[in-house]
Amino acid sequence: MIVLIILSHLTIGAIELYLWKEHPFMETLLYLLLLLGTTIFAVMLAINPELPVPSFFNGLAKLWEKLLVWRGSL
Amino acid sequence: MRKELVQENHGIALTTLFILGNASVAALGGYAERDLWLSFLLAIAVASIVVTIYSRLRSLLPGENLFEGLECLFGKWPSRFLSLAYAGYAWRLAGYVASDLSDFIRTISLRNTPKIVIVLGFVTLAIWGVKAGIEVLARWSSVFIKAVLAALSIAFVLLLTRVDLLEFLPVLYNGFKPVVLGALQLLDFPFLEAIVLFWAFDQFTTKQSPYKIFLPGLLIAGFILLLLSAASIAVLGSELYRYNYFPIFVAVSRIDLANFVTRLEAVAGIAFSIGGFLKIAVCLLVASKGLAYGFGFSKYRFLVTPLALSIIPASQWLIKTIMEFAGSANKVVGPSDFLFQVLLPLILWGVAEIKMFSRRKSNFYGTTDDQ
Repeated sequence: MIVLIILSHLTIGAIELYLWKEHPFMETLLYLLLLLGTTIFAVMLAINPELPVPSFFNGLAKLWEKLLVWRGSL
Repeated sequence: MRKELVQENHGIALTTLFILGNASVAALGGYAERDLWLSFLLAIAVASIVVTIYSRLRSLLPGENLFEGLECLFGKWPSRFLSLAYAGYAWRLAGYVASDLSDFIRTISLRNTPKIVIVLGFVTLAIWGVKAGIEVLARWSSVFIKAVLAALSIAFVLLLTRVDLLEFLPVLYNGFKPVVLGALQLLDFPFLEAIVLFWAFDQFTTKQSPYKIFLPGLLIAGFILLLLSAASIAVLGSELYRYNYFPIFVAVSRIDLANFVTRLEAVAGIAFSIGGFLKIAVCLLVASKGLAYGFGFSKYRFLVTPLALSIIPASQWLIKTIMEFAGSANKVVGPSDFLFQVLLPLILWGVAEIKMFSRRKSNFYGTTDDQ
């Protein structure tokens, strides 16, 4: 499955870059970086389908709770 | 780069389909139960005010397009950071909608089909649509909205044969609190998700166009959803409506005219699929535009494919089961949604009003000094 994901992303990237009329360096770089990020994300999810979703607000709430516990212990 | 100009009637169709999107079969405002219609009216009234603020903000921005305007008003780095934040919000929303669509299709018919296969089909179409641009998407909407409205009207008229109006009584039996909670649910999803559209349009024909596009679009979609949801409650009852994953779909499936006109649920399914596809496409467009502008590029089309590919795993990551879908559709106010739908636009609007006022003032005194 992982090999299939990597191969499919590589193929799509190669075909699309081949179809571009021009290849400006910065655009190509960002495109490749984004494609790499997407591939890593897809592979990570294939390895662990229960990958937790990070939540900024839940993190803040947990930090607040810890702070309250810490202040209570003083 | 050619600026894409959307005509007002096409823009209204796009806004209507976007709001109908994945909401046309979901259990909306379930908290309000039999007072759902009151929640809808309250939510539509509040959403109209917020959308008027979005439109006012959009019409205040100087410059030829949205990003030029933001840069003029807030400076280079704040506007880039803002566009990256909204790109993230639009990407997440696209993941949610893709997940909703695949869950819906897997629940009603293709039970053993992997989620990825269904999402892949919609995402491939979305890549095509987004690369064609907002102008083409808006024109496509103006064609397909006729089919969606016709399908939903037929469903609504035939639902009237099964309704029991006593399901709405007694009015306000549990007080006003469930109505407010239901209205908050409706504001969170689907009404104020229209903030994404604010980033989708490049430029408008006149300064008044944002008002003429967003407000009628919101009102049309709002009243369609009100009629369909209220009819579904009258057919199913408030308990079944609240605890069903797709109550409108279930209500439409009960239509039976003399054992001849039956199995009309496909009509609701088609409307849901068309709206869902458009919503994914618009979210993908906003994510691509926001990311391109955030990194300092004037073109966005080269980012569409990798971003679209990332929506496929995102749809499995953000919502893993259909129960999570129901939870996300029925939450009262999500903190991140509140931030992007209400707080940030209000701050931007306040800053824009103050800056434009001070600019007008300095221009006025500048001209009088010259005289």
